[in-house]
This record gives sequence, C-alpha cells and structure tokens, in this order.
Amino acid sequence: MKNNLKITLKTFFTDLLFWIYLLGCLYYLFNYWFGFELENIYLLVGGLILTLLFMLSGISLGRKLFLPSRFTELKWSRTFWGWSVILLLIVTFFVGWYLVEVNPYKFFTKFGNARGIMSGLFNPNFDILSMSLKALTETIYLALLATLFAIPFAFILSFFAARNLMPKTLLGNTVYVAIRTFATLFRSIEAIVWAIIFSVWVGIGPFAGMLALMIHSIAALTKLYSEQIENIDDGPVEAIKATGANTLQVWVFAVIPQIISPYLAFTIYRWDINVRMATIVGFVGGGGIGLLLLQQQQLLRWQNVGLIIWLIAAVVWIMDMTSAKIREKLIEM
Amino acid sequence: MKNIIETRDLHKVYASGIHALKGINLEVKEGEFCILLGLSGSGKSTLLRCLNKLIDSTSGEINIDGENVVTASGYTLRRIRRQIGMIFQQFNLIKNVTALTNVLSGKLGYVSLGHSLTFSYHKEDIDAAHENLKRVGLLNFANKKVKNLSGGQQQRVAIARALMQDPKVILADEPVASLDPATADTVMKYLGELNRKDNMTVICSLHFLSLARKYGTRVVALKDGKIVFEGSPKELDERKFKEIYGEDAEEVEIR
Ligand SMILES: Nc1ncnc2c1ncn2[C@@H]1O[C@H](COP(=O)(O)OP(=O)(O)OP(=O)(O)O)[C@@H](O)[C@H]1O
Ligand SMILES: [Mg+2]
Repeated sequence: MKNNLKITLKTFFTDLLFWIYLLGCLYYLFNYWFGFELENIYLLVGGLILTLLFMLSGISLGRKLFLPSRFTELKWSRTFWGWSVILLLIVTFFVGWYLVEVNPYKFFTKFGNARGIMSGLFNPNFDILSMSLKALTETIYLALLATLFAIPFAFILSFFAARNLMPKTLLGNTVYVAIRTFATLFRSIEAIVWAIIFSVWVGIGPFAGMLALMIHSIAALTKLYSEQIENIDDGPVEAIKATGANTLQVWVFAVIPQIISPYLAFTIYRWDINVRMATIVGFVGGGGIGLLLLQQQQLLRWQNVGLIIWLIAAVVWIMDMTSAKIREKLIEM
Repeated sequence: MKNIIETRDLHKVYASGIHALKGINLEVKEGEFCILLGLSGSGKSTLLRCLNKLIDSTSGEINIDGENVVTASGYTLRRIRRQIGMIFQQFNLIKNVTALTNVLSGKLGYVSLGHSLTFSYHKEDIDAAHENLKRVGLLNFANKKVKNLSGGQQQRVAIARALMQDPKVILADEPVASLDPATADTVMKYLGELNRKDNMTVICSLHFLSLARKYGTRVVALKDGKIVFEGSPKELDERKFKEIYGEDAEEVEIR
C-alpha cells in the first residue's frame, strides 16, 4: 500500500517534469521563431493538465520507469515513451543550439580576427622572458606551497573520513558524515571561486591564489586519501589490534604503512593539477603567470602573450611527465 | 590443570541477523592443543575472534586466565589481548615493511604510545625480535621486506610476531589453509613446539584431519554455531566425522 503510493507519486512527478520541460522547450522555440509571448504560469498549469490527462488515459513515462515490467513486450517505436524520448531529444537539441548561439559560419569565415594572437604565437617576444620566468616561478611555488600546506590537514582529516576506521557510534558517524560533506562541498566550489573570495580577503596576488588552491586541495586530497584508507587490507589492522595495541598505534603501524605510497602518488598528482590551476586562478587575482597573461592580453601585446603561452605549455608538459614517472615508481614500492 | 579459557552460553548475532554462535560452552585447560573443526561457515573464526574481543559477542561470558573479556575495555582489554597471540590464514603482516619491523609490532601492547611513535624500540625488544626470528628459522630474513617472502615464511614471521607478546594463549585461525601440505606441516610443527616446550595453550582451527590427529590433544567440532563433538582426536572416527561434515563427506578430501 505504502509502496504503491510512493510509485504513484514518483510517476506523477516524473510525468509532470516531462510535460513542463517539453512545454517550456516548445515555448522557447516559438518565442525565438515567432516572438510568441506567454505568462510562465500557463506552462505550469498546462504541464499539470497534460500530466493528469495522459496519466488517466494510461499513457505515462514515469510508469515505464518505475513499473518496468508492464510494457516490455512492445517494440519501442510502438510505444508512447519511445516517441516521447525522441521528442525530448529533438527539442533539447534545438533549444541548446539557440541558447549557445552556435554559429558555424562565424567559425569558418572570421579566422582573421585571431590573426594577431596566432602570429604572436609564432613570433614570441623574448624581451619579456625574464619577467615571465619570474611570474612562472611564482606560479610553480604557489602551487607547491598550496599542496604542501594542504597535506597535513588532509592527512589528519582523512582518518576521520574513512568509514572503516570510524566507530559505528553516533559520534563516529557524525564526524564521518560531516567531514565527507564538507570535503564534497568545498571541492565542488571551483578554485577560481575561492580565488575571487581570497583576492578580496587578502588582496590580489599569489597569496590569494595559494589560499584558493590550498582549500581546494585539502578537500580533494581528503577524499582521495580517505578512499585509500577504505581500500586497505583489513587483515593487518586486525592483527595489530590483537597484539594489544591501542587505536592510535593501530593507525600508525597497520594503516599508515599501507597508504604511504599511494598518498605520495596522489599528492604529486595534486601538485601537477595545482600548477595548471594556478594559471587560471591567476586570471582572477591569484597572481603569477596567469595575472601576467591577463594583463598582456588586455594590452593586446600578442607577441608577449605568445611567449607566455609557450612557457605555460612547457611547464605543464614537464610537470606531467615527471609526475607520471614518479608515480609509476611509487606504485611499485 | 586449571581452565585457561572458559566460555558460558556464548552467542554471537551479526548485524546482518546471522546467528553465528548459538550457546558455546567451551573449556580449554592450560597446556592443551585444542583443534577446532567444522564446515565453512560453522562459526570457527567468529568464536576465535570473540575470545580476544576482536568482535563483540552478543551474550554470554568469556573468561581468559581469570579475566572477564566481555566487559573489558581500554587498558584492561589491551592487557588481556597482549597475552593472546593470534595467527591468521592470510598471515596479516604489513607487506611493504621488513620482517623485523613486523615482528617488533608484536610488542605494541607493552609500549606506550609516545614511545612507539618515535619508532625507537628498546634494545631488549630488538634482541628479542631477532631471537624469535631465529626460533622460526628466519634470522637471515630479518631485513627482507615481507612481500618478498613465501607463504610459509610469512606465516613463520607471523608466529614470531605472536611470540613477541610472550603469550599464554595462541589463537590460530586456519593457519595453514593457504599453504601446501609440506609447508603446512612445518608451520604446525612450530605451533606444536610452542605448545609442548613453552607450555602455551593453543586453539587452532583446521580443515585437515590428519594434522588434527597429529598435533591436537583435544578436538572441538562446531556445526551451525553449536559444539557437536568434543573429545580426543582418537575418538574422531568415520561416524563422528560424517556428523560434523555431513553425510556426503569422505575423509579422503581432507586428509
Ligand atoms: N562480519 C560478518 N558479518 C556478518 N556475518 C558474518 C560475518 N563474519 C561471518 N559471518 C557469518 O557468520 C557465520 C560463521 O562464519 P565464520 O567466518 O565464523 O565461519 P568459519 O567456520 O570460520 O568458516 P570458514 O571455514 O569459511 O572460515 C557465517 O554464516 C558467516 O556468513
Ligand atoms: Mg574462518
């Protein structure tokens, strides 16, 4: 009985969403093509009416999803849901096309606009080499410090964010859920957003960039580290417990030896990512090579921009190669 | 001889609802070599892990050397655990560190946290670790990483680790199940020696009847979480055997 109600509700809301979305898309297209205007409330009411009408006459996308056994004998092209999915895809495509302002004509005919930056790439201005290298060094160190400062925080947090280490008590669960939630939340906020926040907080410059990357790295490493802990072999943990060791000794002697080399691998990988992100973060006030690139681009000094782009590419390439090599070695350890 | 291990009406119900132990009354005397037999899933590992509280029992009593295990926690539990060495089927060593380091970790129950964190072991402990490695014939392997050792050697390292605890009791959960027959016998020989020479009480689950007869002084058989046979290995005849392992079992398959 309770289950039936749940399915009916799910079906209803799926159908409602489907019809409102469909009407919304059609309205957007009609508005785009013919300038047709309508109050938004009519879309909702219309969606509701269509949902009820079709559901009562037994035609429903939601029912197909939540009561799958009912219609399976029919070929998709003979069913309502088959056509509704096709219709959904078609309108979505058209709406997307107009929303994104896709324009292949511009792509093929307006190459001339990019001539400045292209010729800059092939004639980089080496006069600003020393200035650029200084900014680049700033970026690399910024990324390095962000990674280094993130390690101790992530290291300690990861133990409390590992399901297999946290006791299955209310406190244990609360700590686990809280840390996991914060890690996910902070990680889903892009470093670039953190950079905007910190450039206001501590002022524009590499320090703001470092803080931004550090916050993001703590969240990302906590997740990676704790997943590594959840994957360890439980045997040694049991064995060390059995010797009479206390919880902290178990962590130090049974857990840490198993995670140390994957931790190092993840950390180096993170530094690699941070160097790349440090450039972007520089664009919004995080200092370093990104900031320099932004300034030169705004001054339309395309030859300077060219040199900076080459330098960034070289550093990213070198970092990528060395970090891959080191990680390979660590995995073997 | 006094009982060193006693359980009274011991039950274990897992969170999943499985009733793994259904009223176990076990008495093991000091110096016995007690073999646990039973089909896969009969509750052997569960029983062994309840004895040193690696898992919490649901009801019943456990006494080891006069101490109440069920209510023990904190320092008392550590003190109980450190006199119980444990050996596992999968050896459960730390693979990427040396044999010596693994053996030394057997002393953790005796040292303070601060001391162990500095990784500075007492000279006596290091000497003892070498001594124990020598006992299991692995002195030359002290500085080898465990993952480079064979299965039989790893199990001997595990025995040396247990010896570091100066245990009165050794719990062995299918210690030879992942070894070939010859290596299995060597490992059992070491356990037998600890039992006879050092007067350690051993409880060892096994699937090999021949080894049970060779090393055991007593056999306890479990079936569906209950004790279905208790007696000397000699009493374990064909009929008893079929009772434990089911009508279709033939002794050949577990010789
Ligand atoms: N952690 C656990 N959670 C839930 N049920 C478990 C757990 N461990 C064991 N069990 C169940 O308890 C019962 C007894 O398992 P146990 O591992 O003690 O048997 P065993 O005699 O050691 O078997 P084997 O010879 O296969 O090692 C089985 O039905 C098993 O599925
Ligand atoms: Mg078992």
